[in-house]
Amino acid sequence: MIEPLLRFDSVSKEYVSGDTRLSILEMLDFSVSSGESVAITGKSGSGKSTLLNIAGGLDAPTSGEVLFLGKRLKGMHDRELSEFRNRHIGFIFQSHILLDDFSAVENVCIPALIKGDSRRKVVPRAKALLERVGLAERMQHRPNKLSGGERQRVAICRALINDPDLLIADEPTGSLDEESSGGIERLLFDLVKEQGRTLLLVTHDTQLAKKCAKVHLLHNRSLKELS
Amino acid sequence: MSTRFGRWLFASILLLRGKSTYERVRLIRSAFLIALVMIPLVLALIFMDGMMRGITDKYILLQDGHFQVYAREEIDGDLGDIDPTIVSADYVVSGYGIVYSKDATSEVRIKGVDASYFNDRRRGQLTFTDEPFGSETGRLASVILGKVVAERLGVEVGERVAFMVVPDSSAMVVRPVLAVVSSLFSSGYHELDSSLVYMDRTSALRYFPKDKNAYTEVLVQSEASDRLDGIASNVISQSHLDAEYATWDEFNTTVYQNFITSRQVILLVFIMILVVAGVYVASIAQELVQDSMQSIALYKTLGARTGQIGRAFFAAVMVVTVSGMAIGVAIGLLVGSQLGFVMEWLGESGIAGLQYYLLDFPVVVSWSDIIFICFTMLVISSFTVFLSLGRIRRISPLELLQQD
Repeated sequence: MIEPLLRFDSVSKEYVSGDTRLSILEMLDFSVSSGESVAITGKSGSGKSTLLNIAGGLDAPTSGEVLFLGKRLKGMHDRELSEFRNRHIGFIFQSHILLDDFSAVENVCIPALIKGDSRRKVVPRAKALLERVGLAERMQHRPNKLSGGERQRVAICRALINDPDLLIADEPTGSLDEESSGGIERLLFDLVKEQGRTLLLVTHDTQLAKKCAKVHLLHNRSLKELS
Repeated sequence: MSTRFGRWLFASILLLRGKSTYERVRLIRSAFLIALVMIPLVLALIFMDGMMRGITDKYILLQDGHFQVYAREEIDGDLGDIDPTIVSADYVVSGYGIVYSKDATSEVRIKGVDASYFNDRRRGQLTFTDEPFGSETGRLASVILGKVVAERLGVEVGERVAFMVVPDSSAMVVRPVLAVVSSLFSSGYHELDSSLVYMDRTSALRYFPKDKNAYTEVLVQSEASDRLDGIASNVISQSHLDAEYATWDEFNTTVYQNFITSRQVILLVFIMILVVAGVYVASIAQELVQDSMQSIALYKTLGARTGQIGRAFFAAVMVVTVSGMAIGVAIGLLVGSQLGFVMEWLGESGIAGLQYYLLDFPVVVSWSDIIFICFTMLVISSFTVFLSLGRIRRISPLELLQQD
C-alpha cells in the first residue's frame, strides 16, 4: 500500500483558557495522496485554518498523529519542523503576506535562501516563475506597488520556489475581487496540474472547492467527504 | 540549511532595506548615542592618565627623583655604567624652611642643587626667567623661587629674601639667612610652584647637615620605572655603599595612593556607565525586533530557525554598537589630543580652582584601558542584546496567520 503524503490519525485540537476548554477539531482522520488536490470547506470559525496550521507543522494537535510521508510531526524538534516546512510545504495565505521592504523577486527568493541556495542559483528560478505567472515586467517592484492579484501571484511563486511536496493554500482568493479571484484560481490550478503538485486548499467558496479532486466539509469539529 | 539566509538577513537589517527615514535616522542616532557615551569616557581616561602622569613626572623630575640613595658623600663614578637605564644622578641636599620678604612669609621646601641638576629632562618641565645660578651673588645664597612663592612674597629677580631653616635637631642654631633671588621658575603645577625653592648646593650645605639632609637623587628612563627597587639595590651593592634608598612613591604615598584609588573609582564609574549603555544597546535590539515582528513570523513560517534570525539581528546590533564605539573612540582621541591646549587656554583664562590642576598637560593614551573599556562595552552589550533577542523565540508563526 502506498503511504499517503499527509495523514491525520484521530487528530483533535482544543484550546484551554482558564477553566474553559474550546474544542476545535475532534478525532479527524483523513489523508492527502501525492498529486491530489483536496479542498476543505466550512463556515468561518469552523477550524479550517487550524487544520491547515497543523498540516503545515505550524501548530500541534492536542491528541492524535499527523504523518508526512510516514514520518510523525509530533516528535520533531523545532529545528526539524522548520526544515520540514521549508523543504516540503509551500504556503499561500489569504492576505499574501509579502515583505514590503523587498522587491517581488526578492520575496520569491526568501524560502530558497532559507534553504541554503545561493542568490546566483535562486534568482533565475524566481524570475522564471514570475514570468510564468505574468509578472515579467513587475519583478523589481515592491509589493506596495502591485495590485492585490499581482501580490497573490508573487505569493504563489514564493510557495513554489522550493519545489514543495505539498501546497497549502488558505483562502487564496479571499481578499481579491471577482476578476482577480478568477485569474488566481486558474493560475493556481494550472500550475498544480503542470507541475504535478499536491494541493491542500481551505476555502469557504464552494465553487472553488469543486475544482479540487476531493472536497471535505469541516462541520461540528468533524470532517465529511463530499466528493 | 546554510548561513546564506543569515547573511542576507543581516545585510537587510543593517542596510535598512526599504526602511522609512525615521527608522534610518533612529539607527544612525543609536550609533551616535553610543559614540556620545564613548567620547567622554575616552576623554576622561586621557585627562586622568595625563594628569597623573604629568603630576607624577613633576614630582619625580623636580622634587624627588625616581629614587634617592642616602649616602653621606657624593657617589663616585658614572652610575650609568652600573645600569644603563640611569639617566642622571645628582648629589643634593634638602630641608624645610620659611622664606621671608618685607611683606610676607611662605613655608617652603629648600633643595640645594648644582646648575647641572637642570638637565634637558628637567628643563623640559620648567621655564626659568633667568639661567639657573647664572648670576654672581657673592657670599649670599642664590635661590630660584617658584613663581607662586615669588608672587606671594612680592619679590622679583635680583631682590633679597631671608630664610629661616627649620632645624632637624635642638643642637642646630636657628638664624635668618639672606639670599638673592637669581631666577624664578614655573613648573605648570601650582603645588610645586608654591612650595619648592632651589638653592645653590654650596650654600645649602652650610645650612642643612650633610649627614641628615644630603642624598643622591637618581633618574632612570621611563621604561625602567617599574623596576626601581632592583636598580637602586644594584647601585648600592656595586658602589659598595652602606646606604639605604627610597623610591618616589614612598615619599609621596598619599599622592600615589590617591592616584591609584581615583583611577580605580573612575574605572568603576566607567563600568557603571557602560552597563547603562549596554541596556540602551539592548533597547536598539528590542526596537529592531519590534519593527520586524511580521517579517520574523513570516521567516519562521517559511522555515527559518530562531537561531538564524537571532544571529542576524545580534550581528546587526553589534555592528551598530561597534561602529558607535569606533566613532566615539576616534572623536575622544582627537579631542583628547588637544586637551593640553585646552588646559593651557583655561589656565590663562584665570579660572579659580584650576591652579590645583596641571596646566602643562601631557597627552597620555592608555591603549590597554581603551581596549578594556571597548571590550567591557562589547561584553555587556552582547549579554543585554542576547537577552533582549529572546523575544524572537517567542514570536510564533501563528501570530501571522490568525485569520480564521
